[in-house]
Amino acid sequence: MRRYIISLVGGLAILYLMTLIIMASTSYPEIRHLPLYTFSTIFRIVITLLISILWGTSFGILAATNRLASFILTPLIDLLQSIPILGYFPMVIGFLFALGPVGIELSVIVLLFTSMAWSIFFGVLGAISGIPTNIIESARSFGLTGWRYIRHVILPAITPALISGANLAWCDGWFFMIAAEYIQYQGEVVAPPSGGLGYLLARTAYYYEDIKLAVTLLIFITFIVVYFNTLTWHRLMERASTGTFKPIFRMDLSGVGKVLTSRTNRWLRLRLHQPKRFSIIFQRLRKYTRIEKIIAVIFTISGIIFILSSESHHFPDLGIILEGFRAPPVEELTNLPMLIALTMMRLSIAYGISLVIAIGLGILAAEHKKLAAVIYPIYDIGQGVPILALFPVLFLGLNSLLGTPRIALELTCILMLIFDMIWYMFINIVSVIKNIPVEIKEVSQLFGFRGLSRVRHIVIPSILPAIATGSMLSWGTGWNTIIFAEYMPSSEPSIPPLSIPGIGSLLDKAGYEYGNTVILIFILGIIAAIVLLMEGLVWRRLLRKLEKYHVEV
Amino acid sequence: MSVIEVENITKTFSMGKGKILVLDNVSFSVGKDDFVCLVGPSGCGKSTLLRIIAGLEKVDSGRVLFHGEPVTRPTPKISMVFQLFGLLPWKTALENVEIPLEILGVDKEKRTHISKEYLKMVGLEGFENTYPHDLSGGMKQRVGIARALALKPEVLLMDEPFSSLDELTAKTLRELVLNIWRNPALPTNIFIMVSHNVEEAVFMADRIIVMSPRPGKIIGEVKIDIPRPRIEHLRDAEYFKFVDEVVDLLKRGKSLTKDESPLSLIASRVSKS
Repeated sequence: MRRYIISLVGGLAILYLMTLIIMASTSYPEIRHLPLYTFSTIFRIVITLLISILWGTSFGILAATNRLASFILTPLIDLLQSIPILGYFPMVIGFLFALGPVGIELSVIVLLFTSMAWSIFFGVLGAISGIPTNIIESARSFGLTGWRYIRHVILPAITPALISGANLAWCDGWFFMIAAEYIQYQGEVVAPPSGGLGYLLARTAYYYEDIKLAVTLLIFITFIVVYFNTLTWHRLMERASTGTFKPIFRMDLSGVGKVLTSRTNRWLRLRLHQPKRFSIIFQRLRKYTRIEKIIAVIFTISGIIFILSSESHHFPDLGIILEGFRAPPVEELTNLPMLIALTMMRLSIAYGISLVIAIGLGILAAEHKKLAAVIYPIYDIGQGVPILALFPVLFLGLNSLLGTPRIALELTCILMLIFDMIWYMFINIVSVIKNIPVEIKEVSQLFGFRGLSRVRHIVIPSILPAIATGSMLSWGTGWNTIIFAEYMPSSEPSIPPLSIPGIGSLLDKAGYEYGNTVILIFILGIIAAIVLLMEGLVWRRLLRKLEKYHVEV
Repeated sequence: MSVIEVENITKTFSMGKGKILVLDNVSFSVGKDDFVCLVGPSGCGKSTLLRIIAGLEKVDSGRVLFHGEPVTRPTPKISMVFQLFGLLPWKTALENVEIPLEILGVDKEKRTHISKEYLKMVGLEGFENTYPHDLSGGMKQRVGIARALALKPEVLLMDEPFSSLDELTAKTLRELVLNIWRNPALPTNIFIMVSHNVEEAVFMADRIIVMSPRPGKIIGEVKIDIPRPRIEHLRDAEYFKFVDEVVDLLKRGKSLTKDESPLSLIASRVSKS
């Protein structure tokens, strides 16, 4: 307890000191509001977190206990969670901007919600499906029904999932904070009235182009994330992991490492055929029936029509869609194959590099205990850096180094992708390496596997499934990141924004510059199709092939 | 003449800040053609003891001698069969048997020949190219046995080899193991098996070494002289007499540690050592 108070007070003191130093050393007008901006960002994420918890718990319980609700909700929410944040811009702009400053504040919260809420919902859903049958049966035999069933069986069972889901949401919130607070609408930046750290960082980088301050702010933000993580989530998760049916995920990695694992798990739970442990949940979630799929599609289409109609203030017809395809940036659609190829190329390069590094580090961490002791903490802190916030800082740094903005952006884009992808690869590999069953280790010892033969016959085959999962996840997240990484917003309408050709930047142009919802949705559809196609044709096949590599315990 | 000498072995595991004593001054010896069973309640350290003999675990004090030489790391002369089979899921049955031979430097043709022969011996002809994933539990353990024997070891250690199989399969495999032990053509003639199934131990072993709950100590040894094949004597009074004798020893071991709470016992042991 005393250590807790010391770290609480100490952390606050460091935060206060950092604030003072940053404010004293720079003279931009926005920096005067640093305390307010810090507060409003934290407040915003906390509010959104609370809303997400309430929404996720109630809808999660509903979807898990009511057949009809699960029919409609689960596929629909799975669909919504795969839409990148940019896809929600038209809706937010269409509905909330009309409300003035309050509307803008609300927009930020809504955008944050669209990137935070899902993990809680799916965590709750998974936890309820994971309640062992014997517990359900014994509860029923004692006559627990309705509210009492929820209170005495469901709520205790979902608490750990709720906590880890909330933690995940919290981190997602910080991750997307910069995207949510820096809304651009028809080429102009719409600042949230109460500001925010994400806005401040973007402003520093894009408008003032002050690398020193940007780096300082990035460290400042990272410190806040890590501070809150150690202060609250670590303790909560430790407490929650006792007294439940089984560990949600057994991992020794501390802190944010866990977050990625559970994010991975959530993803896995939905997208993969996983043997044994999750198979029941899977069968429920993975195999949507045809009816469920049709319902989801109908919902989506009607949602799109609704958004379109609200934008144009009259009921949509084919005319609006045609009109959308006549407006800019329609002329760039002719280059679509080329743009897709360029984006794919960037993703492939980043993927290749992350793959090599992650496998190398993973094997090193597995084979050398001392090296592992160095790698894991670095990894833990690296996890705390909100990757999207790194973007402006990286670009500024590279630009001042190289002098050519276009090449700097190209490099930044690939680096961003690597930073994003490598965690997924690494976390998957490490979690497998740490969980190689004792018997396999003993077999390798007993029969004298050493050095290269150990790596070849034991380590590499056992991480192969993890590499496949990690690859699928990193491509998924890579697509999400590249939407932000191919496009550099400008702060002044007079300066055109910088972009490198690719399908991601085309999406940004349609959304930010032209506000062309039709093309935005069209491109989103293409991206979704590519992601699903790769998943189905490459990753799932690979995973099914590697299924026999799983060690049965 | 004893081949394996276990001398005064003491072993602790560190847990958090404290240490837990798992084996307390354990000694026994095993001679040629012996079939020894280690029996004890779960957590008494019998599997740890087996791993120490295999050279997989280090000891705090004491030593294991194999033909007079201390065992400090695994040797091909002492092989092991695991409870959960320990097969590499990414290798076929044949490759699983082959790979220890490959590490020993046996050339490709020869090791394939040897492996096929041993797979045939355990009754897995025709399953050479099947992956463990597609084998039943009993078949997996057959691969495990073939892999251990292919090294032509002198000693075969078995860590509860049948406890994860259903009773019918276990019965067949017990017979298989006994046949291997009896086969004079095979160099493997010393079997040490860990079990918590008293009937199984009496059925298979020449000697049963009974251990106490943690910290594991040897409470006593029962020599079983029921004539073989014992399958014909499973209903004899003599068989049940031996079972009762072992069960009595286990009970005595339990009462030995009952007076003191387990925690204080551990504490006192640790402070002594």
